Order: sequence, then C-alpha cells, then structure tokens
Amino acid sequence: MSRSGFIRSVWSGLVVAAATLGLIGFANVSFGGAIVGEMRRTEPAPKAAAAIDAMKAEYRRPALIPFPKENPYTPEKASLGKKLYFDTRLSVTSAQSCASCHSPGFGWGDGLAVGVGHGMAKLGRRSPTIVNAAWGAIFMWDGRLANLEEQALGPIQAPGEMNMPIEQLMERLGSIAEYKPLFEASFPGVGLKPDTLAQAIATYERTVVSEQAPFDVWIEGNEQAISEEAKRGFVLFNTKAQCSSCHEGWNFTNDGFQDIGLASADVGRGEFMPGVVKMKHAFKTPGLREIARRSPFMHDGSIATLEQVVEHYDHGGVDRPSRSDLVKPLGLTPQEKSDLVVFLKTLTSHLDPTTVPVLPR
Amino acid sequence: MRKLTSLTVVVLVGLSAGALAAANLTITQKGRLFSSENITIKKGESVTFANDDTVPHNIVSTSKGNEFNLGSQPPGAATDVTFKESGDAQVICAIHPRMKMTVKITD
Repeated sequence: MSRSGFIRSVWSGLVVAAATLGLIGFANVSFGGAIVGEMRRTEPAPKAAAAIDAMKAEYRRPALIPFPKENPYTPEKASLGKKLYFDTRLSVTSAQSCASCHSPGFGWGDGLAVGVGHGMAKLGRRSPTIVNAAWGAIFMWDGRLANLEEQALGPIQAPGEMNMPIEQLMERLGSIAEYKPLFEASFPGVGLKPDTLAQAIATYERTVVSEQAPFDVWIEGNEQAISEEAKRGFVLFNTKAQCSSCHEGWNFTNDGFQDIGLASADVGRGEFMPGVVKMKHAFKTPGLREIARRSPFMHDGSIATLEQVVEHYDHGGVDRPSRSDLVKPLGLTPQEKSDLVVFLKTLTSHLDPTTVPVLPR
Repeated sequence: MRKLTSLTVVVLVGLSAGALAAANLTITQKGRLFSSENITIKKGESVTFANDDTVPHNIVSTSKGNEFNLGSQPPGAATDVTFKESGDAQVICAIHPRMKMTVKITD
C-alpha cells in the first residue's frame, strides 16, 4: 500500500476506534481536558428499610442560627438590616422594598406565581421565601449568587426589579439623617457603604427562621403532636415517594439543582452549566418549612396546591434527558397522596407576626 | 481492510488496558459529600469517582486542561478520570452545591 494510503487507513482506524468506544460508553476522549473512563456499575447493596426512629433522627431542628465569620451577628446590624429590608426608598420609585416581594404576610414570599418589579412588570420567576436562608448553600433559583450578602444587592440594582443604581442609593440613604448613627453603630469607622448595606440586610434575613412546628414536637417525642395520616405521610416522604432524596433534613432541602420535569422553557441552572445535560431546566430545591403558607409552587408558580404538586411528582412530568433520574412515575394510591399532603401541612409553625419598623427620616 | 481492523483492535485494547491498570486513588461520594476535599496526584494518573450514595451525582470540573463531566452517575457506579495537565482541578457535583473538592496534579 502507498504511504498516503497507509496514513489514511491509520486515521480511519482511529475514527472507527473512537466511534466504537463511544458506543460502549467512553464519554469523552478529547484532546483538551481529562480522559474519562467507562462507567463501571455494581448494584448497590439493598438498603434495609430504616426504622422510623432512624428516619426521625435526621430531622431535628438546629439549636443555633449560623452567621458567617465575615459578617457575625450583632443586634445593631440586625435592627438596621430590618429597617433597610422594609424601606421602600431602596427602590428608584420609592415604592418597593425587599419586603414587597419577600413579605412576612405570605410566608416571606409574595403569594404570586411570578414576582412583580419596576413599573409593575411581571418577572420571570417566583419570589423565593427567605425563611431559613441562614442555612442556604447557594442563592437564586439558578444558583448564580453565592451568599446572602451578594444576593441583597442584586434586586436593588436590577433594572427589572428595584432599578436603583448603587451610587444613587448611597446618596439617597446618605441624605437621610437618622441612618447615619445606625450605620456608625453597626459598622464603626466604616459607616454606610454598599458592602455594609448588604451585610446589615443579610444579618436581618438570617434571623428569619421557622419556629417549632407540630412536626418538630413529634420529632422530639410527642406521639400526639401529629395525626396517624401525617406519620404515614412522613414515612412515604422518606421511602416510596422519594421526596427526601432532594428535600432532605430538618429544612427539607439539600439545595440541589434538579430538573423535575416541569413544562417550562426556562433552563434555570443550565444557563451557567451549558455542557451538563442534567442542569438544563434544573432549579434549586426549595425547603418545605411553612410550605402550606407558600403557594403557588415551583420556580414559575405554575402549580397552585400541594395536592397538585403531589400529582405532578406521581406522574413524573416531562420525560426528557435532563430530567433527574430520581423523578419518575411513583404509582401512589389516593390514600398515599392524601397522607403526603397531610404530612406537609404539619410543617407550618406559629410564626409570630412581624412588626414593621419605624423608618429613619 | 485487514490492516484497518487490526489497527482498530490495537487502539481499543490499548485504551481498555489503561483502564484496568494499577488501583487508583478513589474519591467516594456519600451523604451528599466527597470522601476527601483535597488529594494530590501526578500528571497522567487517574482518580476513581465512586458513587456510594443513595442518590445520583454529576461530577464535573471546568478547570482549564482538566475539564470533565461524568453525567448522571447512579448509586453503585464508579468511573476513572485521568488528569493530563498539572495544576489544581476544582471538582464539584453539578447537582449538590456543597460538594466541592480539589485534585492537585503535580508534574
């Protein structure tokens, strides 16, 4: 064979090899990047059905709220942060505050399918609750912000939301005489700055936590605290319905991003990880504390009731490559569906009404 | 044609043999966490990512020269990744934001 013929056949051989390897699971033989081998599978050892007491042990409420060392709690910061949180002058129109969309009246959301912003224009996604945000690992439905300090400045400056450029806000707040001593007391020697504004708001937000719910009284050992239906619902939540795979632990979330098969064009986390199939249409798992007070549900408020949420999961939603492996038809009986909803309702605590602060002039 | 076939076989066998080589460092995923947050290997060595958890994980790195994406790895699955570039590869689970670790690759 001629020299060029030999070279052609070497090349063809490599192409055939690569194609064949692709068929048997070689994910990525690339010329940049790491080499990924074949996935080896073993059936995991069957899990013995955990006794209900072992399940309950995963759900104890923590005793303390975590504050980061970069922004530790002080009563001054929390009190200042509360004023800022309720102060509509943080928006360019002076008509919207953080509390407008994250309102104590609606489980710290706004009761709407999607939020409303500047000029009363509808936003793309639902306003998330801030309850238990102190334990959050990552923020926004698509996870684009790392912590509460970063998040606090987002909606303030977003043109579609409060539409207030940060420099303009510094001037406006700087001209409100009563804010000056509050900032000095909270941040001695630093005073009013974008960073300290964000730190004050974040400190207040961390104090917004769910209180003891009937579910917690049961977890602590009182068998009369919730109904038998709710207890069955709890077991289903942790077993057949697989809810605890994502809604895990005392706050009922591991902050994981999953596509749960909703019929929505929004790609969510997929915008930031375009090469990862499972991130397309994936949104951050919300917690379920106070969930009965937080309708409508999902990133777009497309599901109105808890019963409909259970139906969605029972059917499995849109079957597409990005859908989480955990989401599939469940085969729940009507009694099982009802038990799940009764269980979810035990997560509502007796939140004390929030007093709106007197604002600085 | 015979030359083409035998060349293909050589390439396939070569790559499979690589996968069966000496036992790798293994990073286990369990309880929505990596078994170690930091490991050090030499350039060209491999790490096995093993899912010992009850849920799927999706391990990725976007670090330049060491990019990889294991896709959805079910419980019980294990995959080897060979790191070709020296430097720090930041490895995460795309699904679970608390899962982060660094593979330090030395020359």
